[in-house]
Amino acid sequence: MRPFLFFRREPFARRHDSQIVNTSIPNADLRVDELLAIRCQLGERKAFADLIDRWHEPLWRYLRRLADSNEAADDLVQDTWVRVLRGIAGLRDVSRLRPWLFGIARRIAMDRLRLLYARPAATEDALDGLAAPEVDATLETDLASLEDGLAALPIRERETLALFYLRELSVEQIATLLEVPAGTVKSRLFRARQMLRDQFTVKGVSA
Amino acid sequence: MSPEAFSKVKAQALAATELSLAARLGYVGLLLVSAALTAVVVSLWLTEPVLPSRTQLAFGAMSVIGVAWMSLAVWALTARRPLFARDRVIAGGMAVTFSAVFAAGCVAAVVLTSSAAAFGALATSAVMLIAAVAILQRARRHFADLVYRRQELEAQLRR
Repeated sequence: MRPFLFFRREPFARRHDSQIVNTSIPNADLRVDELLAIRCQLGERKAFADLIDRWHEPLWRYLRRLADSNEAADDLVQDTWVRVLRGIAGLRDVSRLRPWLFGIARRIAMDRLRLLYARPAATEDALDGLAAPEVDATLETDLASLEDGLAALPIRERETLALFYLRELSVEQIATLLEVPAGTVKSRLFRARQMLRDQFTVKGVSA
Repeated sequence: MSPEAFSKVKAQALAATELSLAARLGYVGLLLVSAALTAVVVSLWLTEPVLPSRTQLAFGAMSVIGVAWMSLAVWALTARRPLFARDRVIAGGMAVTFSAVFAAGCVAAVVLTSSAAAFGALATSAVMLIAAVAILQRARRHFADLVYRRQELEAQLRR
């Protein structure tokens, strides 16, 4: 797992866009994913248990950021697994397991948000689903402040930042997953880091 | 237990239900049986020279029902219970065996009755058998490709 934002050697908010290259995914890690996908495609039951063991928590945490309630994240991740289990036999490029998983999770989360938006009388639910709480005034730890900072970001920036720093996807993978150009991903990352830095500056926390 | 750990237990239970081999092969069986029965019904319907309209209607209804069951099985096997490489090999084997038995039955019907309907069913069973053999070969090739890649990756990871 990529080190947490606050423990990076170089403050992420000061890096230039052109420096955004996610090189933290070791080749062996990618091969483990590919092997897992192949074992699943073969129909090995144990492989599905291994797949869930390896990816459930990262998916849950990613969806938790988009849903902002444990119950909602739980529903979304179960839906994600149903779609993964039904779709993995048809996955053509097995080396792209990671972006494929997060792509499914994202589409499911976006579908849910669209449904919430579409319900006219469900404004409060929609706000719950979007999760934009205010930053806690009493910052006890860097971790807590980062969590709050992320939650306060607009959903696009929050999602991009979470995919890049916490889910270890490359800019290109995120671009494919979000169906936007790589430049857009970079600008969202830049904007997100800027916003986080502003928040931390206001709160007196060094990013 | 943390919420994500609890949620993982639920996901593992979900996988056990989703991955039931019996359900997958059940749909393969449904597809084969409904295809054979529909072939027999359609052969009888098309080859009988004079049929009262009520019988025509009954044959039509039975054909529609057969096609509906086939469609359900195909839909389930593509959208709900897709076959994995190993399942495809098993399903291919089932298809070849079933089609061969069906073809043998049709040959017996042709020998015993020499009816046009038996010839029609025999032609359909021959097509089914050829398709089943092709599906089985394709499934075996796909399975072998995946096993080869798996071994390659395992060797790379052991280094």
